[in-house]
Amino acid sequence: MKNFEHVDARSLAEASRLLTEKPSVAIAGGQDLLCMMKDGLLEPARVVNLKSIPGLSRIVYDEAKGLSIGALVTLSELEEHPAVRQLYPAIAQAAGLVGSPQIRNLGTAGGNLCQKPRCWYYRGHFPCLRRGGDYCSAAAGQNRYHCILGGDPCYMVHPSDLAVPLVAFGARVEIAGPKGRRSVPLEEFYIPPRVDVTRETILRPGEVVTAIVVPPARGRISAFVKFAERGAWDFAVASVAVVVQKGEDGKLMGGRVVLGGVAPVPWLAPKASEALTGSELSEAAFGRIAELALEGAQPLAQNGYKVPLTKSLVRKALRMAVNA
Amino acid sequence: MAKKLVRSVWDFENEWVETVAEVPERLPEPWAPDRPLRVAGQKYPRVDGYQRVSGDARYAFDIQLPRMLHGKILRSPLPHARVKQIRAEKALALPGVVAVFTHENIPPIPWYGDSFLFDPHVRYEGDEVALVVAESEAVAEEALGLIEVDYEPLPFVIDPEEALAAGAPKLHDEGNLWNGRPNVYERGDVEKGFQEADVVVEDTFRTQVVHHAQLEVHVCVADWEGDQLTVYETTQATFSVQRSLASILKLPLNKVRVVNYFMGGGFGSKLGLEKQTVLAALAAKQLGRPVRIANPRKDEFLAMGNRPSSIQKLKVGAKRDGTLTAISLWSLGPGGAYRSAGAELGTPVREIYKCPNVRTEESTVYINAGPARPKRAPGHPQGTFALESILDEVAEKLGMDPLEFRLKNYAEIDQVRNRPYTSKYLREAYEAGAKAIGWYEKRNKIPGSGVGPIKRGIGMATQIWGGGGGPPAYATVEIVSDGSVIVRSGSQDIGGGTRTIVAQVAAEELGIPMDRVTVIMGDTALCPYGPTSGGSVTAASITPAVLAAAVEAREQLKGYAASALNVPADQLAWEPGRFFLKSDPGKSISFEEAASRLRSNMIVVTGARGPNPEGYTINSFGAQFAEVEVDTETGRVRVLKIVAAHSVGRLINPLTGRCQFEGGIIMGLGFALLENRWMDPNVGRMINTNLHDYRVPTMMEIPEIEVIIVSEPDTKANPVGGIGIGEPAIIPTAAAIANAVYNAIGVRVRELPITPYRVLEALGKA
Repeated sequence: MKNFEHVDARSLAEASRLLTEKPSVAIAGGQDLLCMMKDGLLEPARVVNLKSIPGLSRIVYDEAKGLSIGALVTLSELEEHPAVRQLYPAIAQAAGLVGSPQIRNLGTAGGNLCQKPRCWYYRGHFPCLRRGGDYCSAAAGQNRYHCILGGDPCYMVHPSDLAVPLVAFGARVEIAGPKGRRSVPLEEFYIPPRVDVTRETILRPGEVVTAIVVPPARGRISAFVKFAERGAWDFAVASVAVVVQKGEDGKLMGGRVVLGGVAPVPWLAPKASEALTGSELSEAAFGRIAELALEGAQPLAQNGYKVPLTKSLVRKALRMAVNA
Repeated sequence: MAKKLVRSVWDFENEWVETVAEVPERLPEPWAPDRPLRVAGQKYPRVDGYQRVSGDARYAFDIQLPRMLHGKILRSPLPHARVKQIRAEKALALPGVVAVFTHENIPPIPWYGDSFLFDPHVRYEGDEVALVVAESEAVAEEALGLIEVDYEPLPFVIDPEEALAAGAPKLHDEGNLWNGRPNVYERGDVEKGFQEADVVVEDTFRTQVVHHAQLEVHVCVADWEGDQLTVYETTQATFSVQRSLASILKLPLNKVRVVNYFMGGGFGSKLGLEKQTVLAALAAKQLGRPVRIANPRKDEFLAMGNRPSSIQKLKVGAKRDGTLTAISLWSLGPGGAYRSAGAELGTPVREIYKCPNVRTEESTVYINAGPARPKRAPGHPQGTFALESILDEVAEKLGMDPLEFRLKNYAEIDQVRNRPYTSKYLREAYEAGAKAIGWYEKRNKIPGSGVGPIKRGIGMATQIWGGGGGPPAYATVEIVSDGSVIVRSGSQDIGGGTRTIVAQVAAEELGIPMDRVTVIMGDTALCPYGPTSGGSVTAASITPAVLAAAVEAREQLKGYAASALNVPADQLAWEPGRFFLKSDPGKSISFEEAASRLRSNMIVVTGARGPNPEGYTINSFGAQFAEVEVDTETGRVRVLKIVAAHSVGRLINPLTGRCQFEGGIIMGLGFALLENRWMDPNVGRMINTNLHDYRVPTMMEIPEIEVIIVSEPDTKANPVGGIGIGEPAIIPTAAAIANAVYNAIGVRVRELPITPYRVLEALGKA
């Protein structure tokens, strides 16, 4: 790791200034940043501490405005928050399945959304489009864990567990930067590789995530299912979040099906989401939604198993949501 | 103590080692199985447990010496290349950098037979190219990036089968196949055996490369005081490191001291002298300051060893009644880029079951990847996986219960050496294990017949291993005037609890409490010779030496007791805690009172380990039983329970013994389900050089573990009666899990690890 200076920011404005003066990175929990720096993938001259900025670590629930999650809220705080557990179970579930207890105690909501790719070729200094190389090593390499949807030219999978239910709930990200504040839907926060293979998010220099705002729950039910090879300290091979409402007719209405671990961005499955409305609460209906969710999947040489696996997770998430 | 010289032949990691050993003229009386023991055989927490968990214990990694410098090794980024030029000017210009060593300024010290400490012909990603020495680790690491090396890339091969193909890139003059031919063993006539068989099953099995992944990375600190070199080294082999280092540096043995008081795991990756230890010693000498070299985790994966992968073609024939008629094995595995450890795995095939016709043909090839090293029971977990899988296939074809089939072919003697075992309680292990897992009640009579997507199954597998140890091995017992005792033995406690069982054996025989005994191990300057801790030989090698020394020391103390009581020594008898007058047992003197007569004297006795019995093989045996749950929708295998029933002579400490079994089983579970070295076929480099992409089990994967010791103390093997347990623990785990998976889903996965994708593919879902 190269030497760097560590500066505490006292305000968002100061953070923006500090981040743009010289090659800098922001640190919140530091759980991913430390890996990136130790692996020599980021070599900042300055690390700007956001934890010294007041007001970014609160969870506020308001029936009219919804849930506001400060960027510095830790994953364990999110996992344990009573309102989140009660009204947004998929979010609590996802937060509780990240990494390990140690990582969740330090890792933050904002940091989790801004993680860098975990592709082993990206991290391991192999030829990599995202790191300015000529080709993607995963395309013709070891791609058991790579994407089956939305790849080409980069086959990474998005590493965030938390982003999956947040997109399902229609969350927005609040951003502060040198040119002021803005807010975007989370699904627009991420940049698919076809648009720009070198950037993962729309954050511009000096910008930081300040909060995540989730619309009011209003009777919506939800579930998150993560499948990893290991029971802890592992990234998702595939994950699924379902957010939906039970209509008075006993059928489902509205809602979203979002997939994690199978695409370079949290994957909002539009046809499956549409099919939620009017769906019965039966295994057969859930099976049809699962088929739609994986429609268009294009596995690489080694990761075809992700298709049936993810379908089974969609069915499981639907069962969990309606039975909760 | 009177001693004599004998020829000693004993089993070290499947190699029969022959040495001349000094052994006692008179062996101590064995601890008969019916002798009641107070301390040995009891559950004692580790004598150094508090130090280990509180951070008090000083590992080689923790050693900080005044004016110490830090070294970092530059490793080849290419799988095969020739170093044309190295320019170190920029690195040397970095403030804090003290020196850079390369093949140009380090003598060409031979290594791996045909290579050198720094060899400009680099043969794998991770091969050593240069050493930077700097004032801090951070500066040394930064300087690595400033060394400019021109490499001429060479064609590489990382696939063992491709390495054997005509025209494959050649790593060494001898060609890629070790010795130019396979290792062949043959008894009887396998062709005839297959003709006599009613059922013949033939299958191919594959296992992956796995790493030791021990917690403590390889680290050494070299420190010269005048012409005296001290090396703090994380090693399983203090004496072997001392000898190799002295020989390379052309130093007398008494000028080299190797110290390893505490160790954070080795599992076979720390069995000998490391290149970096020689480099640290050379650099420290030249720079006049201590030098420490600690590996980053990545280097551990690249360069510090692995269990080689395997391709195993097995063919097994049996008669209708279950009698085995023939077994043949063809195997191939990579030794990596150099000759370090081979890929042989045929011992289970040759030795576990009674079979008149057996042929094994085992090949090791060079590939452009990190050299293999022995890993916890080299060859056995992979060989056992294939053998025990195919035996279940044969049993199923015969319509026999797998246990019944194994009992039908129970080997009463060592068929390779044609002689009996000192002890073998494998039948008892089968019986106890089957009962504990619920073999007859829970096992699916029809594999895969469970209802619903989540299916349960039961499987088992057998284990054979050495671990009898042997001489030479010494221990000294020292009794001082307050009645406290110091025991020294030149082996090392590599984490298994050796220090604790040494204290137990001494406390037992001297009749004193455990807390009166201090044990010093892992220091060539303070301790008499003890063996390398490998092959599960440590306990069985050194505890008899401790016993011999303790018996003799107590005998000497009797003289002081006799003078205190004013009687001739031969009129005194001993019972734990006191000497008493044979004719008047009420008249006695305690151990401590007798010791107080020593004043400034001390009793120092060096005990030697006796020879192994002639005409016997000393082995451990065991069977593990697994219960698993397989989610047929996701392919996840969850191990619910492992029962480990083993025949290992006497367990000297059931608490540390249980830890050994737990550790071995967890490591076996990682081999079965999770761990894998991923190499990129296009560039020949390892991809998952970190502990999240290289998945070792976490607490979430660890099942209920039940350990059952079925054996009596094996006093035919040695007077203490213990046989090693470190390696037996891991051997059958993966095989038992694989057989349980088959029993659960009715489809056999013949390649490890049994990951979700392999299960889904086997089920035809992907």
